[in-house]
This record gives sequence, C-alpha cells and structure tokens, in this order.
Amino acid sequence: MKRHRNLRFAIVVGSLVTLAIVGFAAAQSTPNVGSGDVVADRQRLMKLNGANWADAQAKFKAGNIEAISVNAETIALNAMHIPLLFPQGSLTDKSNAKPEIWQKRAEFESAAKNLQAWAEKLRDTAKTKDAAATEAVMKDFGRQTCAACHTAFRKPLQ
Amino acid sequence: MPDSMRFATCILTCLRAGFLGGILLWCGAGLLLPASAGGAGTPLPDLVARGQDIFGAAGGCGCHTVPKGTLNAGGRKYDGPFGTVYSANITPDRQTGIGAWTDEQIITAIRLGRRPKGERLIPVHPYTVFNGMAAEDLRALVAYLRTVPPVNRPNQPKKITVPFFESIFLPTWLAAFAPKETPPATAPTSGLARGEYLVRAVGHCGECHTPRGMTQATDNSRFLAGNPNGPEDSKVPNITPDKDTGLTWSEEEIAEYLGTGNKPDGDVAGGLMGEVIEGTAAGYKDLTKADRLAIAQYLKTIPPIHNKVGK
Repeated sequence: MKRHRNLRFAIVVGSLVTLAIVGFAAAQSTPNVGSGDVVADRQRLMKLNGANWADAQAKFKAGNIEAISVNAETIALNAMHIPLLFPQGSLTDKSNAKPEIWQKRAEFESAAKNLQAWAEKLRDTAKTKDAAATEAVMKDFGRQTCAACHTAFRKPLQ
Repeated sequence: MPDSMRFATCILTCLRAGFLGGILLWCGAGLLLPASAGGAGTPLPDLVARGQDIFGAAGGCGCHTVPKGTLNAGGRKYDGPFGTVYSANITPDRQTGIGAWTDEQIITAIRLGRRPKGERLIPVHPYTVFNGMAAEDLRALVAYLRTVPPVNRPNQPKKITVPFFESIFLPTWLAAFAPKETPPATAPTSGLARGEYLVRAVGHCGECHTPRGMTQATDNSRFLAGNPNGPEDSKVPNITPDKDTGLTWSEEEIAEYLGTGNKPDGDVAGGLMGEVIEGTAAGYKDLTKADRLAIAQYLKTIPPIHNKVGK
C-alpha cells in the first residue's frame, strides 16, 4: 500500500514539474520565424519588395503585363508579414526604422495593409493583361504605398 | 448758327466722340489683353492652366502648405540662425492672404522679396532665385494663385533673434552672398535652355541640393553637390554627374524619377523630395516628359563635383 502511495505521489509531482517546465518554456519562446535577427530579415524583405517593384516596371516596359502579377503577389505576401517583423524592442542601431512605428502602431499597420491592398489590385489587374489598366495602377503605386509609409516611418537617407 | 457756336459745337462733338471712342477702345482692350493690375477682369483659362503648370514645376509651392493642411494657407515653420519664420498665407483671402494685392505686388514679393508696404521677406522664400523666372510665367502663376480657394488664416509673426538682422545683416547678405538669377526675356520652351531654366529658377533645386557656407548662402561653385545639413534635418544628395559621389542614373531614369518617384533600384522617393514630386495641387510629377527629360539633360551638363553626402 505504501509503495503504491509513493509511486502515485512521484507520478503526480513528476507530471506537475514537467508541466511547469513546458509551460515556462512555451511562455519564454518567441515565434520561430526567420533567421532570429528580425532587423536583418525585414531589411531583406524590403529590398525584395524594391527588387520586385523594379522588376514589375521592367516587365511593363517590355510589354510583359501578365507576368507582373508574380511580382505584385510577392509584394502582397511580404506586406502581410511587415507588422510581425517590427516587434516591440526591435529598434536597434542597425535599423532605419523610426520610433513612430511603435508610437503610431495603428497607422503603421494600416500602411502595411494599404501596401497589401494595392499589390493585390496590381496582381489582379496585371492578370487581365490590360496594359492601360495596369499602367493606371502602376502610375501611383510607388508614391501611394512605398513613399507614403517610408516618409512617416523610415529615417531619411543617412 | 453763328460761327463761334458752330465751332464750339464741333469741338464738343469731337470731344464726346473721342471720349466715347476712348471708352470703346478701353473695353475692347480689356477683352483682348490678359488680366492686369488688381486682378480686374477674368483671366484667360489658358493663362491659369499655364500658371498651374508653373506652380507644379516649382514643386507645388509646398513651403506654403502645412503637410496635410489647407492649400497655400501658410503657417509652415522654418527655424534658422536668424530665428523662426512661418510661411505666409498666399490664398486670395482679402484680409489675411494676397487677395487685395495687385498682380505687380504679388510678383514683387515672389521675385524681389518685398511686401506691398515695403517689408522685406526673409529669404527662406528664395526670391533671388525666383528672380530668374520669366515675366510671362510669373503673370501666369499669379493668375493661377488667384483661383485657389481663399482661406482666412492670419500670418504668424516671425521671431528674429539676431539684433539688427533686418536692418543691417539681411541687406548686406543679399547684396554680397545671395545667389542671383536673372530672368530671360521669354521662358525657354525646349532643350538645355529649358532644363536650365527649370532647374535653376522655377524648380529652385539649388535651395536644397547646393551645399551652404558659413553665411548660410548656397555655395554656387558647388551647384547641386549635395547638402548634409538640409531642411528639416535631411541629407540632400549630390546630383551633379560626379561618377563616385553624384548622380549616375541615365536621363530616362532621372525623368522617370521626377514623374513618379520611382528609383532604378525599386525604392521610391520619400521625405521632402517625395513631397515636391507629389506636390500639392501640382508637383514635379505633373511636368511633361519633355520637361523632365530637359531637366535630366541639363543635370548631365553641370560640373561634376566630388562631395559625398550620407553613407
């Protein structure tokens, strides 16, 4: 009888300790996305956005309208990830971010959603192969999305 | 009728005819000529449209509009070694704007920096550079300015902190150091002359892009070579054709940038340059492709200056 009681006691205590360790670990760990250097990752993402936008313009000049949809979709998906890449406490010396990102968080996230919306619109328009309609979107795209967000939230040329 | 009376009647008739004829001539002239002093008459639509083009070529006169504020209502703050000034209300409001000024008075303020009562403007408004604008363009610009919705917004008084600044220092500075552009007889319409006119006078690019010396005047021996201490703490790039530190984009790329803000690497102009490309009621983006190419062509001809600004 006493041995059973000791065993049950050990199982209960052991389970509680295991739960505590797992719970503690879960509470401490950050989402395991990216390289671990969130500033480096977001700078790569932004460069990729730029490269896609430059590529989209080159494709337009070459008359390759439908292919622009790939670039637009890439930018749209990148835009979805932007807020995740700017967590609290990630304003380091290497970053060109402005503190306004965290001071005006709602505006910042709205700017990211705006980029996503414009990119999706460009994607859908390019898929129709209508050059004039695509040009109309592209004419304002850079200024309305990239420039607008950068002016508010990115430091000027250093 | 006696001779004397006939003579008098003749004189009176001639005078009446002359008087009436004069009135008819005056009215006829008023219909044919563009609007003149006091804003009397309706300006020709072409003149207003041309004025809006010039407004855009000047970057939308954004210094006179607070960001996200009302067009041309003024109130934008500028701190300098002299103190602080706020841009003026240039809407056609009669009490607080320029509505009661004559065309000549407005033009005098733009290019000579004097208000109707003689007060000198602080050259944050670069009147010695705007002096390079052709008279016809200034008249068109004024015609356009009068069509902007009037806003009642009293000007904020300047705060000059340097003693004798306006009475002694400013006139000396203007005479000795200020860059001076002289107006062409007519505005050039194409080619390098057009590019030069748009860059040096209307677009007043040097005000941001030319480095400044200790007197705060632009150092025109290094025209457009970049300013690490630009307005609103900006680092303004060197846009001379220097291979190592200047602008190496093609003319097409420069023209594209001015029209859309798109850079060759896929980035887009933000900050103050983004602001002047976007403009207000018009901006650099509204320049014709020919004008943007003329600007680009001119930029390729200015002396390349080695001056590294920024990283």
